[in-house]
Amino acid sequence: MRLLAIETATPGSSVTLAEGRDAVAYAARVDRTGHSEFLVPAIDFCFDQAGWSPADLDGIVVDVGPGLYTGLRVGVATAQGLGATLGIPVIPVVSLDALALDAATGRRHIWAVIDVRRGEVAFSTYWPVPGGVVRDGAPDLVDLAGLRARLESNPSDTLVVGDFPVLPEDTLRGLHRVKTGRPRYPSARAVAEIGAGRFERDEIPHPDEIRPLYLREPDVTINWEKLHQAGPWG
Amino acid sequence: MKPTILAFETSCDETAVAVVRGTEILSNVLSSQVDLHARFGGVVPEVAARAHIEAIRSLTHEALRKAGVHPDDLDGVAATAGPGLVGALLVGHSFAKATAWARRLPFVGIDHMEGHLMAPRLQYEEFQPPLVGLLASGGHSQIVHVTEWGDYETLGATIDDAAGEAFDKLARVMGLGFPGGPAIDAASDEGDPAAVDFPRALSDRPYDFSFSGLKTSVVTFLAKAKKSGDLPSQADVAAAVQEAIVDVLVDKTFRAVDDTGAK
Ligand SMILES: [Zn+2]
Repeated sequence: MRLLAIETATPGSSVTLAEGRDAVAYAARVDRTGHSEFLVPAIDFCFDQAGWSPADLDGIVVDVGPGLYTGLRVGVATAQGLGATLGIPVIPVVSLDALALDAATGRRHIWAVIDVRRGEVAFSTYWPVPGGVVRDGAPDLVDLAGLRARLESNPSDTLVVGDFPVLPEDTLRGLHRVKTGRPRYPSARAVAEIGAGRFERDEIPHPDEIRPLYLREPDVTINWEKLHQAGPWG
Repeated sequence: MKPTILAFETSCDETAVAVVRGTEILSNVLSSQVDLHARFGGVVPEVAARAHIEAIRSLTHEALRKAGVHPDDLDGVAATAGPGLVGALLVGHSFAKATAWARRLPFVGIDHMEGHLMAPRLQYEEFQPPLVGLLASGGHSQIVHVTEWGDYETLGATIDDAAGEAFDKLARVMGLGFPGGPAIDAASDEGDPAAVDFPRALSDRPYDFSFSGLKTSVVTFLAKAKKSGDLPSQADVAAAVQEAIVDVLVDKTFRAVDDTGAK
């Protein structure tokens, strides 16, 4: 089984080609806005290095977020374009799951955190199990005070992973039982590994169900003036 | 045989996918978001980008099916590169680039204005340079001299609002809602454009235009007419407004045609 994994949910973009669960080529770049310029050249580079051609692929795995909206759309649109034209399945993976899988811990409760701007983070919590991690619940959004409050009331030894260095320092300072650690960004290698499992178990959604996981309604400023003016005949 | 191109346009509030062979349109499918944005009083970029990504895969499938073209039969892929809403453009651009890459096809990013400028060529064989083009869509108003395809000189442009923005603003003061162009057009159906004589705002530069003066005079006119009790019908005002805008565009364009000696 040959998979291409695409990771553009955070400033740390990456691409992997994987044979089963083993990465055979990898490209990465850290840039908050460069997802679009990075992606296709990086894919091309990986195929070149691996000596594969697009027709060799059995599936595409893509990180659907939560994360940066534009990055997510670049990744999902690219995966959809590749999947549709090659006639192969696209498998969505949650960014926080990819973060947690790479978390270096033996026993701590894992809190994966991704910055989604406007004073909020997306997060999910996980327990390490042999061969991976198990998520406690659906990804959610929380503001920084809320994140701290939840960590304070969490009775377990905890490892926070993700983009916490962008959070204000006092968000996590002085918390009992809480350690911070790597990784900072999800990696395409973890995305590929999770996707390989789904692929083996035949957990393949209909392509129209593959959407970025925004977790927020779009920010809309309604132009009331435009909508409500009655005009002289009104 | 002429090249077969799969093309994407996602610069604003419509997702459009077409298959074209030479100048023959084999299929052209689109998903409009007008209803999605109308309730907000304008196009919301984030709403647009989300709608594009939901539509693009199945639209592409439909465009190829309607055209009776298999991806193997394609010779190239094109997408609008800009200007436009960045988040929206990236959806079409990413999908198109991936499609081209997977099939080892050339990918071309197309300038939005050039797309408008060349569109009539698909319909009218005689539409060939040298020519003068008037670009008057939602966000832009320009007069362009085309000496040959690929060689463009912008002769003039709006110095304030684009025609589309002028229609939006005027529709608003007339209580006609959004988007303004279609609203004024619909309202003008039974109207008499000669009922009111709005000024043709001619700037001193020969091919530039300006629409802010028209808005002021419409506002002033409506206020006065209502006060004095002889307000013409909404249809008449809509027809007169529409004619005032179109007159300026057409007048300047034909002046450019005369001056450049284009056909
Ligand atoms: Zn346009």
